[in-house]
Amino acid sequence: MLIALVLFPMIAAAVCAFIGKNTKLRNAAAILAAAVEFALAILIASKPDLTFSLPGVAGCGLMLETDGFRRVYLVVIAFLWLMTMLFSPEYFAHYKHTTRYFFFNLLTLGATMGVFLAGDLFTALVFFEIMSFTSYTWVLQEETPGAIRAANTYLAIAVIGGLAALMGIYLLQHIFGTTEISALAMQSENRKALYAAGGCVLVGFGAKAGMFPLHIWLPKAHPAAPAPASALLSGLLTKSGIFGVLVLSCRLFADDPAWGRLILILGVITMLLGAVLALLSVDLKRTLACSSVSQIGFILTGIGTMVLLGHENALAARGTLLHMVNHSLFKLVLFTCAGVVVMNLHRLNLNEIRGFGRKKPLLAAVFLIGALGIGGFPGLSGYVSKTLLHEGIVELAEHGGAAVRAVEWLFLVSGGMTVAYMTKLFSALFIEKNADNERQAAFEAKKHYMAPLSAAALVLSAAVIPALGLLPHLTMDRIADAGTDFFRAGELEHSVHYFAWSNLRGGLISIVIGFTLYFGLVRTLLMKKENGRKVYVDRLPAWLDLEELVYRPLLIKLLPAVLSAAASLFGENKLTAFAAKAVFRGAQGVTRAVFDEEVFTAPAAKAVFRGVQGVTRAVFDEEVFTAPAAKTVFRGTEIASHAFSDLTDGLVYIIRRLFFRERDYTPLDGMKATLPYRAGRLIDRAAIRRGREKPGERSHAVRSYQKARSLRGTMRGITGSLSFALLMLVLAISIVFIYLMLIR
Amino acid sequence: MLPVLSGLGLYLFKGMAYRLRVSLALAVSVVVSLLAWLLILVGGEEAAEVIRFAPNLTILLRLDESGRFFTGIISALWPFTMLYACSYMKHEKHVRSFFSFFLMAYGASLGISMAGNLFTMYCFYELLTLTTAPLVMQPMTKEAWRATQLYLLLSLGGAAFAFAAMAFLLANGASGPFTMGGVLSGIPGSTTVARLFWLFGFLGFGVKAAIFPLHVWLPRASVAPTPVTALLHAVAVVKAGAFAVVRLTYYCFGTELLAGAWPQTTALIITAFTILFGSVLAVRETHFKRRLAYSTVSNLSYILFGAMLMTGAGLSAAFIHMAAHACIKITLFFCAGAVLHQTGLEKTTELDGLGKKLPVTFACFTVASLSLIGIPPFSGFISKWYLLTACAEGGVLGWIGAAILLVSAFLTAVYLLTIVRRAWFPSKTPVSELSAVHEADAAMLVPIGALALCSLLLGIVTSPIINAAQAVAAGM
Repeated sequence: MLIALVLFPMIAAAVCAFIGKNTKLRNAAAILAAAVEFALAILIASKPDLTFSLPGVAGCGLMLETDGFRRVYLVVIAFLWLMTMLFSPEYFAHYKHTTRYFFFNLLTLGATMGVFLAGDLFTALVFFEIMSFTSYTWVLQEETPGAIRAANTYLAIAVIGGLAALMGIYLLQHIFGTTEISALAMQSENRKALYAAGGCVLVGFGAKAGMFPLHIWLPKAHPAAPAPASALLSGLLTKSGIFGVLVLSCRLFADDPAWGRLILILGVITMLLGAVLALLSVDLKRTLACSSVSQIGFILTGIGTMVLLGHENALAARGTLLHMVNHSLFKLVLFTCAGVVVMNLHRLNLNEIRGFGRKKPLLAAVFLIGALGIGGFPGLSGYVSKTLLHEGIVELAEHGGAAVRAVEWLFLVSGGMTVAYMTKLFSALFIEKNADNERQAAFEAKKHYMAPLSAAALVLSAAVIPALGLLPHLTMDRIADAGTDFFRAGELEHSVHYFAWSNLRGGLISIVIGFTLYFGLVRTLLMKKENGRKVYVDRLPAWLDLEELVYRPLLIKLLPAVLSAAASLFGENKLTAFAAKAVFRGAQGVTRAVFDEEVFTAPAAKAVFRGVQGVTRAVFDEEVFTAPAAKTVFRGTEIASHAFSDLTDGLVYIIRRLFFRERDYTPLDGMKATLPYRAGRLIDRAAIRRGREKPGERSHAVRSYQKARSLRGTMRGITGSLSFALLMLVLAISIVFIYLMLIR
Repeated sequence: MLPVLSGLGLYLFKGMAYRLRVSLALAVSVVVSLLAWLLILVGGEEAAEVIRFAPNLTILLRLDESGRFFTGIISALWPFTMLYACSYMKHEKHVRSFFSFFLMAYGASLGISMAGNLFTMYCFYELLTLTTAPLVMQPMTKEAWRATQLYLLLSLGGAAFAFAAMAFLLANGASGPFTMGGVLSGIPGSTTVARLFWLFGFLGFGVKAAIFPLHVWLPRASVAPTPVTALLHAVAVVKAGAFAVVRLTYYCFGTELLAGAWPQTTALIITAFTILFGSVLAVRETHFKRRLAYSTVSNLSYILFGAMLMTGAGLSAAFIHMAAHACIKITLFFCAGAVLHQTGLEKTTELDGLGKKLPVTFACFTVASLSLIGIPPFSGFISKWYLLTACAEGGVLGWIGAAILLVSAFLTAVYLLTIVRRAWFPSKTPVSELSAVHEADAAMLVPIGALALCSLLLGIVTSPIINAAQAVAAGM
């Protein structure tokens, strides 16, 4: 049953790819698949807890299970997918590679289900990785340079995050002997190892969630992806990251204040940073993506509070869960609205799309519901979850102190910023007029801007939000109750009166801050007059980008520099000079020390040493000797050497020395870059410092370069010759004899 | 032995038509593989003594668990490669010698995997060297000639050291068939000497397993035709080296002698370094097949690292990775070969936009790449997971190894995914000459597709392979 939820979309994906040519049929099949999946999810959600395990598959076996929290999320996932799927046919009508999109989209659906159903972290990791790689193609979908760049970042984060998660989960497996979520618990004796493991898993899943400082991919990838995919990336894939953080926070570090503080701090930073970035952005989808970062920050703050509160964490836990659900729903609505804009205009800059929504009441209403919801206006679902989160922080502040008070205010300010940037978007899209009058006229004349199917998807998605928000006790409390087990939430002391003044106050403060910010900041600082009209300007300096400033240089410049330094040190060409030295020194070094030119000048001795080598050179390495005169001489000696090897070896060697004596080097271009040359330069400089005369043509630099070259040449000759194999053979056999004679 | 004989036979018939020759070679390899699988599935452990030179020098063939595993890998992959070669070699020269030696190499590899004692294995090991050398030389260019030279010299030199180890064993009366735990009973003299000889053997067989710094021949040998590089230099030859090391360690000297002693530490350090080294060089390399060859260098040391942990978990992890890597790397090489064959491009920087021209090839390449990086649910992930688990029991060096494995996985992602991305999502416009490029024919695509599917299936239906690998280690 549970595995069907995972496998069915994957099979459907294959079917869609198969009938890809017939677009209408394929779209219908994809929608049907999403609808069946939705029905399945509802069916499973209506049943009690299920478990399913598949031992022997994928290495350690897969384990799937449901509980209250998973049931809620199954339905949310299936709902979001169905809605975006309904919206997709029209959106993708003029796109290329749409079959690819549908194929990977359905694959991702199965994988996302798998992540949320996972009964152990191993299973979660398996599906998490599948999800990362299949969703990579979403970001790439448009194949513009910008999309490719964003997708590269996404892929890099996915690979690095995946490896970090693998490391962490593998550590947990080592500590606990299993990765089952229910088995994870704090062990005092393994504290440090557990923190290391938890840290690794947090990096892996936090990166997907968009947690600071790993959020960098998010504001780029989400706008680059097609709108339905952005909605899913933002609404669900980030949540799968949160799921991982939740597993850690609700199980492993359930009562660990240090962990709680870490998550809380990261959460607050993410929350503020995302909000500030969103406020500064002048691009519709980028604003929404930054807003996602910020809302993830709210959720993380909630998780942090929940961990810190220990057993009285009911408010924070409920707030966290509800805000997850809410954010999924809001982003669905908002990104699909953005999709409508893109579909019609293919533009996202606020100045260009300004005024598009005027006289389009349906779009305006839907967007307004999303905007007000995310802004936390009473009556919509966002208010409920934000209130709970706020109450959680207030509760913590009672025994927390000044720091928590600050967190509370930051929370309210971030909420205010949310209101401000959503107001900015709404007013730009639906209230203000475009600077270009003709364009404005064209906007307003456009009556048919979306197909009925898309409109239905939009309305359905939006309708859920007030339905939840107006009757919180009937709807949202039940959802929150379902999560109690998973979150290990305590008993709720009394039911929350959402519309009591004490609770309304927090929400209203945020709204007031929001409007103050909007009129005080957005309308003044973030806009400037151009030709008598105010336009939005991007005040965010281009250089202030964590990715460009830190990560890319680190990965692209520093890492390869280190690697190439390492590689050039150990590179194949220098290998003969470096590694061979280590291994073959015994054979070569000794001989060379004895017969070295400088040490031993007798030609006879040299001849003996070069004997074997010389013959083999003549036999094998013809191309070394290029001069035709030398060639003929060598041909002669080659034949002779077979008969009188010992005698002629010396001759070969002498001829070689005569014809190919290394002349003084004139500095070459390549020479200066070599290590020996540089080392020699250092010695030269040292010599000059010490008052010696200026080194002439035969400086240390040149000499050491020559030395290295001749050494390398000899090495190459030795390793590339039969004498080397013979040498090794003789060595090995003599070892045997020595052993047999002496030791045994 | 059948392949060796038929290979010789095939060589004698000079004027045979290409089609006939190819189909004969293919038929022989299929029949042999079927026989081998029959043996694996139903055969017991009975020994077959072939020749007795002296009381303690016998050619003995016997299939035990680990031999069965390795035989399985070889005989599963050989017919695919043969099929691939049929199409790939169509326009090459020296076809006669190619198919003959290719079959003979099959016989030699099977001989190594079925060998019942060290002497037999050593004989087949040398035979493998000799039969594969002409294959590397196939293109008959100066580069190929030098590569062969290097390969021969290093292999023979290494075998000489392995010979030293074997001589030590024989001198100590340990000539019996392979037994788990070692055949060395009561070591005369100091243990240090025995350990030293083991290290000689390790380094000697390690030449074929491409451990640093004896790996130099492997990237150079990628000048050989792709079926050769794919099968011999990603699977049979190099794995034979690793397999020989396992035989020497577990079945001759015995882990009791070695575990926890300095030779083990040395071997672990060498292999761990090779893992990193191979990956780094693969990232740096831009020649397509050489990049894959460096990747092989790195991955072989995964296997050896697992084996050198000298625990049951390490051994079975090594065998799992042996199977997974064989399947993956052969796919990758096949894809590289298909690209080379269809377009003549051999630099990784020239592959822009080829994914659209050769969709099947690159789809399989992508699958194999993800698998090698260790992305679930592909087979590479499973082997990596087991290797990591084994590392956890290996003390400090094990942990260092685990860290290196992960770093290397990242590097693997870098050197493979750059190719994948370039092929599917070109950053520059593809060269216009490519407009006439089309997919390779079925004889090449079928093996590629089948093996790519294999690396996916091995990742999902893992229990047979894991059980087999654990059966290998069960005797410990």
